[in-house]
Amino acid sequence: MGRAIVITSGKGGVGKTTATANLGSALALLGHSVVLVDADTGLRNLDVVMGLENRIVYHSVDVIRGKCTLQKALIKDRRLDNLWILPASQTDDKDAVTPDDMRRIVNELKATHDFVIIDCPAGIEQGFKNAIAGADEAVVVATPEVSSIRDADRVVGLLAQSDVPARLIVNRISPHLVKRGDMLSQSDVIEILALELLGTVPLDDQIIATTNKGMPAVLEGKSLAAKELMRIAKRLAGMEVEAPSDVGFFTRIGRALGLSASPA
Amino acid sequence: MWNNIRSMFTAKSSREVAKGRLQLVLAHDRTGLEGGRLQEMREEIAKVIARYVQIDAEAVEIEIETRSRETQLTVSSRIQTRTAT
Ligand SMILES: Nc1ncnc2c1ncn2[C@@H]1O[C@H](COP(=O)(O)OP(=O)(O)O)[C@@H](O)[C@H]1O
Ligand SMILES: [Mg+2]
Repeated sequence: MGRAIVITSGKGGVGKTTATANLGSALALLGHSVVLVDADTGLRNLDVVMGLENRIVYHSVDVIRGKCTLQKALIKDRRLDNLWILPASQTDDKDAVTPDDMRRIVNELKATHDFVIIDCPAGIEQGFKNAIAGADEAVVVATPEVSSIRDADRVVGLLAQSDVPARLIVNRISPHLVKRGDMLSQSDVIEILALELLGTVPLDDQIIATTNKGMPAVLEGKSLAAKELMRIAKRLAGMEVEAPSDVGFFTRIGRALGLSASPA
Repeated sequence: MWNNIRSMFTAKSSREVAKGRLQLVLAHDRTGLEGGRLQEMREEIAKVIARYVQIDAEAVEIEIETRSRETQLTVSSRIQTRTAT
């Protein structure tokens, strides 16, 4: 029986889809069988970030309406042997998917795969409720900005109400801005949200360049962001991970500024 | 002028300002009290206190603080003691 992990944030544009694509690819690289589920009905994006947009035939609403089997709607990634994606429908009918539908799909996928990674839409309405319905655990993505952290805090509260345990990824941190005192640090975000940290991904041009090509950064490998995403995937898989160097770097900055390095 | 230069060095960084603003906004978000509800609560509490001791209703203050995921609401009020009046 696999694990279902929802990637969520409240605010849009903070890196949920990027994290879903990269963590899923990284887990597949590590040898796990992985399905990525695009839960952003109406604003399908995971397919283009993964570079699989030309191969879509069926989508989740076809499965729900019985037009095809779940297995038939899955697209297999050609770069990795054990990675699949279930595309979202582009329908604007907000009732096309219910939490029960999602729970059924996710449970069926968990029976045959190690990880089901769910890309949650922005917001806290129906799409969010659907996306968390089948999830065993959550990864909250936040950028070090007031609006993102505020929205993440709302989501953390809602996840707690639904008994979904959550961990944190701080995305798009700029070490030089933190050093200059012009960006919240990793430890600030941890302290405010009071979540366990999975990792911190730096702002990295390579994410934009690889996304342009429809290639998850972890498959190209070399960038700082890709390395940290790989580490986060290992932590998700429960592997012992070496002390992350760039995160150590942020912590040292924190100490130099006289901040507490760990949450209370 | 010296004061200006001093304040340039002691001014809060944008990081500290952001953190302070977040803590305030989250403390309020986490109560789930919207619009004038906090003000209504303050007025009601002031009435209750005024039944027992003499107070200036305006002097009742509500402070909401949050640390980790715990949120604390503190009501404070100066009362007019008998000897003082
Ligand atoms: N660590 C990063 N460094 C640079 N750009 C990033 C990073 N993470 C995400 N982005 C970019 O930010 C934008 C929004 O990311 P996306 O994953 O689509 O957010 P969401 O799914 O939360 O709306 C995209 O253009 C993406 O390439
Ligand atoms: Mg997205």
